[in-house]
Amino acid sequence: MFSLVSRFAANTFWLGRYLERVENVARILHINETYARDKPEGPDWQRVLDLYSDSERFHEAHEDASAQSVLQFYIRDRNNPSSIVSSIVNARENARSVRHLISTEMWTHLNIFYSQLLKMKAREILPSTLANTANDIILSCQTFEGIAEGTFLRGEPSCFYHLGKYIERADQTTRILDIGYALLPLGEGDAVTSVQWNVLLRSVSGYHAYRSRYPSGTRVEDIERFLLYDNEFPRALMLCVSRITDRVRDLEKRHGTERHSEVERTRRQLEFALETGPGNDLTPERLHAFLDRVQIHLGNVTNAVSQTYFG
Amino acid sequence: MSGYDWGEFYCEMQSQQDQPHLTRITQRLNGLDISALRRRSRDAERELFNLGITFTVYTDREAIDRILPFDVIPRVLSKQDWATIETGVKQRVAALNLFLHDIYHDGHILKDGIIPEALVTGNKHYRPEMKGVDVPKGTYVHICGTDLVRDQKGTFCVLEDNGRCPSGVSYVLENRHLMMRAFPDLADGVPIADVDAYGSRLARAMSKVAPQNMSNPTIALLSPGIYNSAYFEHVFLAREMGVQLVEGRDLLVDDDRVFMRTTSGKQRVDVIYRRIDDAFLDPKAFRPDSQLGVPGMFEAYRKGNVNLANAVGTGVADDKAVYAYMPRIIRYYLDEDPILPNVPTNICGEEEGLKKTLDNLDELVSKPVGEAGGYGVVVGPRASKRELANLRSLIKADPGNYISQPMVGLSVSPTLIGRAIEPRHVDLRPFALTGEDTWVLPGGLTRVAMKRGSLIVNSSQGGGSKDTWVLV
Repeated sequence: MFSLVSRFAANTFWLGRYLERVENVARILHINETYARDKPEGPDWQRVLDLYSDSERFHEAHEDASAQSVLQFYIRDRNNPSSIVSSIVNARENARSVRHLISTEMWTHLNIFYSQLLKMKAREILPSTLANTANDIILSCQTFEGIAEGTFLRGEPSCFYHLGKYIERADQTTRILDIGYALLPLGEGDAVTSVQWNVLLRSVSGYHAYRSRYPSGTRVEDIERFLLYDNEFPRALMLCVSRITDRVRDLEKRHGTERHSEVERTRRQLEFALETGPGNDLTPERLHAFLDRVQIHLGNVTNAVSQTYFG
Repeated sequence: MSGYDWGEFYCEMQSQQDQPHLTRITQRLNGLDISALRRRSRDAERELFNLGITFTVYTDREAIDRILPFDVIPRVLSKQDWATIETGVKQRVAALNLFLHDIYHDGHILKDGIIPEALVTGNKHYRPEMKGVDVPKGTYVHICGTDLVRDQKGTFCVLEDNGRCPSGVSYVLENRHLMMRAFPDLADGVPIADVDAYGSRLARAMSKVAPQNMSNPTIALLSPGIYNSAYFEHVFLAREMGVQLVEGRDLLVDDDRVFMRTTSGKQRVDVIYRRIDDAFLDPKAFRPDSQLGVPGMFEAYRKGNVNLANAVGTGVADDKAVYAYMPRIIRYYLDEDPILPNVPTNICGEEEGLKKTLDNLDELVSKPVGEAGGYGVVVGPRASKRELANLRSLIKADPGNYISQPMVGLSVSPTLIGRAIEPRHVDLRPFALTGEDTWVLPGGLTRVAMKRGSLIVNSSQGGGSKDTWVLV
């Protein structure tokens, strides 16, 4: 049996990351639009730009962060590297390089998804129809995921694919929680707070999961615990990190402990950061600082994987 | 098919109605209305697009994916026709390999004056670096694509040998899959030779020519990368063969051995099916500006530590000038008459050929041998008096640089054009694989010129393809 060509390890890793990113960008645009319905001043689209640190680049080309301009920027702007269309182009280029390693069904679905997105016109992207557009995009990502689950050989390529996917998902969950704390009221128990946090839960497909875990009601700190530490909710940070650990262990088995040491070291730091947590007396600032730390550790794991295997 | 008129040409379907299966296929086509045929054709083309069976055209900002037009009416070859093609191609490949071995070793054929030495050693595809290099099993052309055309009498002739990196085989296999999904009823009860074995046959041929007769070699397919227009085919073949698909940057040479960069470090590579031209293979040996190649790979090859398919320097054998000598090359090495004739070719470097050419300039197609891509070709019946006069003086000044051939009326095949079935000219490229011995994929790529009257089947000129059925 041959080992995987390093470049293909990178391609499958980024294939997983880009598709996960597409799904989450669609989720975040959706949440931001939905929250705004209760606010007289409308949604604050600048927040989304801040969340992805895209503000500077956005304002080079646009005056105001209007709904229309931010949606175009994140959905179909080819010049924005974090737009959905750019991520799909990148996912497809990566998939094209490893077409012999992924299944024909995966490639075909991605190819159709890509043509549909490229065909989308500027006028088709409106705040009023965003829910549908976002749902279509999310559904296409989930379909891909299902096809991969059913057809992708469970060898080294799929290991890198899942590693990329869970690193991205962990990163995106921290961003969704971050935007929630920045946007939403933190008052306990009042109706407005519940409604809005429930929307956030729904945006990560976590509403019913949360209900079954915490039947007593919507409490901000329970939601935070749920999104960070739940062991069974697929988008919870803890679960993503434990999937990352599984894949890292698979690679270690394949390549030996020594070759793997830097990846393992960064992974342990990530785990440690998660165990230490944001601390008590949670303030939005403290949570934000914690989420930032987690993002940095995820970046460190990515760099270690890249230096060890992609070179 | 009412109103279908194939005129003076040989028709791949109508001229063979003594074949019961062809009669049956014709009847089935007649039983379909044109809208149903068009619907199936559209479905098939959409599927090609979705599967990404495309070649990519790059502009400044965008990558545009195009499909090779696919015609749903198959081209059918009878058992007898196929037997001729198969043995003829095998014979030709055998002669090509013996010829290449000879010219890179003792050069008997040159000393015996069968072919002018200057034509061989002065050829731009001749690689003096290959002199004295022994390749495993004496096989130079592992993958050969022989372009055949059928004349008005129905005889298959060789138009061209492709002994470098012949492409198009992925379409043969994909067209079959597509056809069986789009049109399963057309083939019902018609026994057709299977094409699926190509990938495993290719992998087997590659493993037979591994260095030092090793038994379980690591094989890789070397591609120029995702921006190459044939990238789909490279992926397809790597997958069918079950081997690694690499680019030059994935390989390195250490101590005259070739390695892949993998997640577990360097891994030795033994046989490389390369889809990169000689000139770009190794910047140390050939073009120093090559970004696609692997520095030092040629030296590893010369020392026998890695094998390359096809061998370096095979281009000299599929050259236009050498082509004219192929019938003599076959007789010289095999002591047999060619099973597949060349298109009759006058060699102007010889007195008789020169006379025939000059006497019939207005009826012949004249070609300078040193040029590629159709440059300098003069089609007599379509040339002006002035062009012919000019050509005459060029040939007289340098006869050795010219050959001439009669116009060939290529056979036609019924093709769906808009709302009608019309005759369109076709050619055929069978693929032969040689490790220790030669195997020919039953069928091959049928290319079809989609424009009325056009003889140009190339995809760049709007050509398409058809599924090719060999009856068994």
